[in-house]
Amino acid sequence: MGETTNLDIFTDSFLPLLKAGIAFTVPLTLISFALGLVLAMLTALARLSDLRPLAWAAGFYIWIIRGTPLLVQLFIIFYGLPSLGILIDAFPAAVIGFSLSVGAYGSEIIRASIVSIPKGQWEAAYSLGETRLQALRRIILPQAARVSVPPLSNSFISLVKDTSLAATLTVTELFQKGQQITAAVYKPLLIYSEVALIYLIFCTVLALLQRQLERYFDRYSTV
Amino acid sequence: MIEVRELTKSFGGTSVLRGIDLTLEQGQVLVVIGPSGSGKSTLLRCLNALEVPTSGTVTIGRARVEFRPNEKPRKKDVLALRRQSGMVFQAYHLFPHFTALQNVMEGQVTVRRRPKNEARAKALQLLAKVGLEDRADAYPHQLSGGQQQRVGIARAMSIDPELLLFDEPTSALDPELVREVLKVIRELAEEGRTMMIVTHEMKFAREVADRIVLLDGGVIVEEGPPDQLFGQPREARTRQFLSLLMERSLV
Repeated sequence: MGETTNLDIFTDSFLPLLKAGIAFTVPLTLISFALGLVLAMLTALARLSDLRPLAWAAGFYIWIIRGTPLLVQLFIIFYGLPSLGILIDAFPAAVIGFSLSVGAYGSEIIRASIVSIPKGQWEAAYSLGETRLQALRRIILPQAARVSVPPLSNSFISLVKDTSLAATLTVTELFQKGQQITAAVYKPLLIYSEVALIYLIFCTVLALLQRQLERYFDRYSTV
Repeated sequence: MIEVRELTKSFGGTSVLRGIDLTLEQGQVLVVIGPSGSGKSTLLRCLNALEVPTSGTVTIGRARVEFRPNEKPRKKDVLALRRQSGMVFQAYHLFPHFTALQNVMEGQVTVRRRPKNEARAKALQLLAKVGLEDRADAYPHQLSGGQQQRVGIARAMSIDPELLLFDEPTSALDPELVREVLKVIRELAEEGRTMMIVTHEMKFAREVADRIVLLDGGVIVEEGPPDQLFGQPREARTRQFLSLLMERSLV
């Protein structure tokens, strides 16, 4: 029997790590970001609303989420809520935590993008007889979307890496898997570097997608 | 018919319009002149409630809205009023994410609920009218200022308004581009469109207007046909304003 080299360990662990990434990290990121974006949009609209209680509620939510650590929020949801009789499985608990986070930070990005569109665009839409909702949907949001691509991509890429916190909720995502393999082979430098590499691959794909999206929106750009 | 009665507008404590009465028959062109800060643009913007008047009544075609102090007008009334007029802005305000064609289709499709193919045909017709049928697929940033403003005019006409409002339509344009825009407006006047124009182009005002209104300090100082207002102004304030313009054009 030959000796197991570092290269063997690397190649043997690559597939299990990638699988953990594809089975948990990727869906965790995609689902949380999608739900988070919907939440972010609703929160942004609530904050811009004329209805005071709605704007206030949105502000309160953003205040809580931004003012407390994500890890603590995840612990409250997964370990804390059961004492109130609310039991949530690890994966959905992580989705809830991450979505709430994306919703809060994303809403500020969306709100800022909406506010950045010149007032004349609203007026031009109104002058055609459009309602506020029509103006928002047809004229303002498509332009705000272009403005918000870079900062939202930032959030998205951050989220990929933040999902490693789900390891603390017993979700066997990429990082958790790395910990398990490290415990077996005891090569922390090698395995954790490999974990980092896979995160890097995921984030690189996203950065490329961001560039495509920006190029798409640039078809009508003036700058 | 367009009718404005006892229209006032104040921002905070400052009154910008202090009781404006105006009537405009169908097919007439009214040009509003006056020094800057006289309330010209505000008056125009009150007619489609982009600025909500403090008090007074605005009637355009079938829509009539009465404004009362400290009372928000009903959304339905405001929308109905806006659908009676088309507005051309000083800074064009074209939708940058739409092509010229889409800019002129937008109001037809979302507001008038016209089928797309009908809206497209009409948009092309309007673009041809302003001399831009060959630029239908261009985005606003690919057009010159004069071309953008002509798309703006086509867009304003696309909802079949009773009244066209022009808010200093050539003030943002380079001098050599002013002419092409004025030419389009002149053609519309000859066609018998009802229009209200705020402008600093006095020569143009004189030739295109049926009536001129001089606004100063939020009130109408003098009103009359262009030959009278420019030739034999009755009010001292009008003479003063006109001589100021003369001086400026001599420099």
